[in-house]
Amino acid sequence: MQSIPDNLKPPFTDLLLAIADDKLMLGHRNSDWTGLGPILEEDIAFSSLAQDEIAHASAFYELAGELLGTSSDELAFGRTPEEYRCAAIVEVPDDFDWASAICRQFFCDEYDMLRLKRMTISNYTPLANLAGRILAEEQVHIEHSEEWVVRLGRGTHEARQRMQKAIDRLAPIALWLFEPFDGLKSLIDAGLYPGSDFDMYDTWTTRIQDILEKAELTMHVEIGEPDDKGGRRGVHTEHFEPLLNDMCEVYRIEPGVAW
Amino acid sequence: MSGSGNVGVHVDHNIQEDPEKLAEFQQKIDDGMLIEVDDWMPEAYRTGMLKMAEHHANSEIIGALPEGEWITRAPSLRRKLALTAKVQDEVGHGQMLYRVSQDLGKTRDNMLRDLITGKTKYHNVFNYPAPTWGDIAMIQWLIDGAAILNQGTLADGAFGPYVRTMKRINMEEAFHFKSGEDMVLTLMGGTMKQREMGQEAFDRWWYPSLMFFGPRDKPNAEQLPPMRWRMKTVTNDGLRQRFINRFAPAALALGLKIHVVEKDEHGMVTSKKPDENLRLNEETGNWEFTEPDWEEFFRVIRGHGPCNKQRLALRRLSYEQGHWVRNAILHGSKNLPPAA
Ligand SMILES: [Fe+2]
Ligand SMILES: [Fe+2]
Repeated sequence: MQSIPDNLKPPFTDLLLAIADDKLMLGHRNSDWTGLGPILEEDIAFSSLAQDEIAHASAFYELAGELLGTSSDELAFGRTPEEYRCAAIVEVPDDFDWASAICRQFFCDEYDMLRLKRMTISNYTPLANLAGRILAEEQVHIEHSEEWVVRLGRGTHEARQRMQKAIDRLAPIALWLFEPFDGLKSLIDAGLYPGSDFDMYDTWTTRIQDILEKAELTMHVEIGEPDDKGGRRGVHTEHFEPLLNDMCEVYRIEPGVAW
Repeated sequence: MSGSGNVGVHVDHNIQEDPEKLAEFQQKIDDGMLIEVDDWMPEAYRTGMLKMAEHHANSEIIGALPEGEWITRAPSLRRKLALTAKVQDEVGHGQMLYRVSQDLGKTRDNMLRDLITGKTKYHNVFNYPAPTWGDIAMIQWLIDGAAILNQGTLADGAFGPYVRTMKRINMEEAFHFKSGEDMVLTLMGGTMKQREMGQEAFDRWWYPSLMFFGPRDKPNAEQLPPMRWRMKTVTNDGLRQRFINRFAPAALALGLKIHVVEKDEHGMVTSKKPDENLRLNEETGNWEFTEPDWEEFFRVIRGHGPCNKQRLALRRLSYEQGHWVRNAILHGSKNLPPAA
């Protein structure tokens, strides 16, 4: 195994957990639509997206698990809430509203694409390889979400209103995806996670604004230095504990055994 | 999962079918040929096949609900993925079977609407509760196992589009069954709590899986249209016996006990005792067993099962929540440019 200097291990595993936790919780939320989607064909497609996210999460947990000396399942199911590193956007429920589900997926996919691109040039080869492998699938996700955003934005009056409402509600929450965490700069300097968060934010907003323009929708957000801590530093929304309790309900009956 | 084959065929004697064509039709079936959508067929056959495929489709998408409720609680990453994929498959089966039904002349929207208004039915087995993870294991083992048996024989039927769909579906069901078997094995080889969870779930699902194949046959079942026209190829009792011959010894080998149970209105077991009739009859090679409570069966079919209301309500909610989405796609005012 390629070795990581001891002082970089905590931020680096935080980075791996951030992407794994984001993907697991997003996949978890989306998987809940399986069997209940608005159209059978989309039910099936959206479920595939959910499965991809969970499978990606699993792969990132494995990377983190190698460094932390634990298993993917223990990382996924066995931590206390403050040990998770996911961002608020994947924690919020969609209340069974398709506009919210699509909007959440859209913000996350666009972000993930950029994050993965940075990871493909990491000097930690296992991460670069994994990110490279996943990129193609993420491209499919992005096309899917972007198509839906445009389709709904330019659909009926009701659809546009619902989409706009979802964007207004979720965009400010999505910004927490960019919350910096302790040691992030050292990862960038060491080439483990090359690139700049500022550039990434610019690219993200530009792409989103482009798509929203096509969809005749708008987004007004401004990013600032966060006053409080968020998910990247282990402080979660009120939605997170219920999510975790649901997800871990069976696991906790007999933690650590095979199910 | 699922598979119907128990939908009655109503022969309307006011419709005078051309006797020559009817004889030709019967000959084709007896010769093992497939009937295709555009071929001549008696009206009762067309409506019967539509009813059967529609019922089967309904069952697939209602069947997605009890297991779907456990996706978020699956206890490992591997199980979470497998269960999501499994439920997704069932939705896919529904979609394929609605297509077969559509070709027989009913629109999908009408079928979905008839389902949520209770005008059409779905398989009875999905009106039972799945209160623990153990139930999810048992559903995938017993009910998907029952479905494979049933659908395997439906794939020997005579209606081409349905037969081809059954073949495709059965390949996926085999995966479901394998993973169900693995879940049951894991539970029964696990801790005391896990084994108890497995046994309790088994007690809840054993009888519904025996009832899965439908009520006792009429004495002349093989002469009636459904079998004469190869809409189904094996009797209900015949399938039930095959199921028991396979699953009773398998359950015992796993350390499960087979009980005769009483249940409350929520489908929860209130008392149980070992099935004293259960034994292998060496002469016939068949396992003997205590018959299901057929009164309960008909009560559940009439809509008074533990979960009828809940399942339909969720399906209705999904239909209603998706209404504006379907509208946006159908009536979107502007053409959609490529998003990229
Ligand atoms: Fe199925
Ligand atoms: Fe199945």
